This record gives sequence, C-alpha cells and structure tokens, in this order.
Amino acid sequence: MSEPLMLPTIVPLGDRALLVRFGTSLGERANRAAVAFARRLDDAAPEGIEEIDPNLVSVLLRYDPDRIDPARLAGELRLMLSLAEEEPETPGRTHAIAVHFGGEDGPDLDAAAEALGMSPSQFVAAHNAAPLRVLTTGFAPGFVYCGFHPKTLNLPRRTEVRGRVPAGTVLFAAGQTAITATPIPTGWHVIGRTDFINFVPDRSPPTILAEGDLIAFSEAGR
Amino acid sequence: MSGGITVLRAGPLATIQDAGRFGMLRYGIAASGPMVRGAFAAAGALLGGRAGAAIEFTRTGLDFRAEGEVEAAFSGGAFSLSVNGEARDWNSALQLAAGDLVRVAPGAWGNYGYVRFGREIAVPLLLGSRATNSTVGLGGFGGRALVTGDRVPFGDAAEQGGAEGGGSATPSDAPVRVIWGLHADLFPGAMRQLFVDKSFEISTRLDRMGVRLARGETFPQAGILSLVSDAVVPGDIQILGDGTPIVLMRDHQPTGGYPRIATVISADLDRFAQMRPGSLVRFEPVTLTHALAAGKAAR
Repeated sequence: MSEPLMLPTIVPLGDRALLVRFGTSLGERANRAAVAFARRLDDAAPEGIEEIDPNLVSVLLRYDPDRIDPARLAGELRLMLSLAEEEPETPGRTHAIAVHFGGEDGPDLDAAAEALGMSPSQFVAAHNAAPLRVLTTGFAPGFVYCGFHPKTLNLPRRTEVRGRVPAGTVLFAAGQTAITATPIPTGWHVIGRTDFINFVPDRSPPTILAEGDLIAFSEAGR
Repeated sequence: MSGGITVLRAGPLATIQDAGRFGMLRYGIAASGPMVRGAFAAAGALLGGRAGAAIEFTRTGLDFRAEGEVEAAFSGGAFSLSVNGEARDWNSALQLAAGDLVRVAPGAWGNYGYVRFGREIAVPLLLGSRATNSTVGLGGFGGRALVTGDRVPFGDAAEQGGAEGGGSATPSDAPVRVIWGLHADLFPGAMRQLFVDKSFEISTRLDRMGVRLARGETFPQAGILSLVSDAVVPGDIQILGDGTPIVLMRDHQPTGGYPRIATVISADLDRFAQMRPGSLVRFEPVTLTHALAAGKAAR
C-alpha cells in the first residue's frame, strides 16, 4: 500500500476538537503519518490541548476553547505539519502473540481460508508469515487494528454481525487482523483466540500495545 | 468515615458520574460523565462547589434512604422531590439525617437528574475517574447501573471543585445548533438541505450511548460505503445504513465508521439530552465561531 499521501487537512469536530486528517481512506502511509504526528504532539503539544488521540489515518486534538482559539491552534498545527519531513517512524516494540486458530476459537477460519483459495493450515501460515504493525487502538477499550496483510489475504467483512465475542478474540477482515480486549459484537471473521488481553483497567496506561508496535503472531502450542 | 445511601427504587440506568474520564480516547475509552453537564455543575454549585460524584438518574427518578447525616443537592430537569413525605423544592440543597427517606418522582420535563452530596462517593477511581461507562461496563458502581437494594457508601468530605453553574437546559422550541460534520461533504446537497428543513422526532431508543431519531426516511441511501473508521465526539450525528440518524452521546464508541453529517454544539447538547421521546427537534447549522461564542455564554 504505497498510496500517494494527501496534504493533511484540519477540520473541526464539534467545537471542542480538531481533527488532523492524513487520508480519507485507510492506507499505510496515511497511518504512519498520523502515528508520527501524534508522537510529535506528545513530545511538544501546543498550549490549550487537552488530549491527543491517534486514529487510523488522523489525529484528534481536544482543546480548551478558554485557553486557545481553534483558528490559532489550526495555524500552529499547519506550521508543525509544514516543517515535517516524512521522517521514518521510530520502530515500536515487538510483541509475540500466540493464537489458538480455528475450531471453537475461530469458527470463521475455514470459510475465510476457502474464500481466499487456501487450506486452513495454508491460511494460518500466510497469516503469521510477517509481523503486523499496530495501526491504532479504537472502537472499544484496548481493541487494536493490525496491518497490513498482503493483497492475497484481503477479505471483506462478513455480511452479518455476530453477537458478542469474548475478550481475546482474533478477528480478520479488510487486510487486517484485530484483537478484542472486551466483549463486543463484530462483523469481522472470527479466526482464533489469544490469552493476551490488551486492556487492564486498573493499570496506567490501561493497554500494553501502542500504535506503531509490531506483533508477531504464532500458533499456540506449536 | 462511614455513611452512605441505600437505593430503595432506581429507574433504569441510574449511574454514578463525575465530570468524566478524560484523556483515555487513545486507549479506546470514551470520557462518559454527565449527560447534562450543566445540571451536574449546578448541583455542585448548590453545595458551594464542595460536592462529590453524582448519581445520575433517569426519567422515573430515584428513591433512597440516607444512612447518615449528609448534605445533598438536586438538579437537572424538573422532578418532584420529597423527604419523609414532605415536599421540597427541586434545584435545592438540603441537610439529610440518618434514616431520611428521599423520593425523587417524575416531573414535567427532562430525561436526567442529579443528586450530589457533601461527601465523596466511595467507589474506586478507575483511570482517574468514578464515572460509569455503561457501554463498556466500566467504572462507577462495579461498572453497572444502580438497582434497588444497593448501598452506595460515602468516603471523605468532598473536595472543593469548580463551583461554576451550568447553561440552561430548559425546554424550548429553538432549533438545536450544529456544526457540519466530518462527512457532510459526502452527502448530496439536497440531503443536507432536508436535514436542515425537516423536524426529527426523538425516539424511545435513547440511552447514554446515543439517541436514535425517528423519521429518518430523509436519508434513504445514506449508506456511504467503506468509510475509514475515525474519531467520534459527543454530539456527532451519524446516519446508519438504513437512514436512521443517531446522535452520539457521552458513552459513545470512541471511533465509528458510519457517515457523520453534523455535530451538536456544546452549548446545546444538554438541552438536546433532556428532550423526551416524542419531542420534535430541528437542527440549525452554525459556524464554529458562533458555537464558541454560545459555549462561552453558557459557561
């Protein structure tokens, strides 16, 4: 995914937040640019910013309107963006995550493999072939999107939404693998389960994985 | 210090809320906090700013017994309040004695009311907050709504917080002001015009996560496919694939993939939250400058 990177845009999201968008569709360059920009803001946030929230292809900035005028904030952000080289992202940590693939833990694995023209074991091997980057945490506590698989592993979401799946469910769709950390309903293919839970509410921060980290998936018990 | 209250009757979704669990969006956690921030603040101001977390209750009210002496303040909507059968003013602070029976009964308007005490509610701080996130089941009273028989314990005397009151959330026919949303440009002009021209009805499907609007046939083909999932803020109005608009509220999902046409401005979100099912609402687009001025005026 080496899509051209659009010029970042800054749009208001209500009257307490600005969204810096690096893309309007999901792509690796836009994701890397968003993650890198969030890190720069973490290091030196302009005055009046209350929260920095990196997303798949954007960074949300909540501000206090009593401390900074959003037009002025947008100007400062534009200046920061104009000074940015597309610098290589500092590599994140690598985490090894063992997954129980298929069977009761992954009821959609066989169908997903078949749709991709593979046997279940070929699918698992292809899935685990290369580490994936954590693209962002979102949708639910500790829920991580990891990508990107090669085009040969691109499968749309299911047409039906499945009722709540437990924490630690490994999901697959749209060239990505996601891991749930709380029970949620999902329209993704359920391919496995891990004992790793990326949400510990009484810990600060409450998640272990961060955007930009690498995940090496393996088959549990092998 | 001991003390507390025992819940004798709780309507659906009575939850413990403080100002909110801010700063956790990057971990996938919305801030939660009061549905009607101005009313929460007003109850605190009635106690001179020395108020703990609130119990937020819904339209059918809340009955409880005080298990010790404590000062309590009530605000939000119009409920009817009595202590040991004797009527008291709504929007007031009063001293409760051990054994006092407090009854908050439904009133003329509003979906949410608040009681705050001169003591902190002794539930653990979770990620810096006592707020309940009802979508996730996190924080507050074991992550859940209060039910009859629950004993809510008090801790220390509440600390001095901000004593500012809140903006008025009294019902009015004025349109609810919005800023055009993240995906407004993806909606055809005619659909945006209909969004502004039409009245929507507040449906019975409303909770801390969102308020579903009826009469959503305005947007029959709003299913704009394959949007990248992006950050959500309270007040965002998203259009589901079947055309139903939903206004996302305090326990929203932190990110969403449905198109969002507009965002309710901060100054009008309390008033919107208090609109009961069956009420009609119209949306009026304003500029960010207008929204900021309105927000300042309401604070």
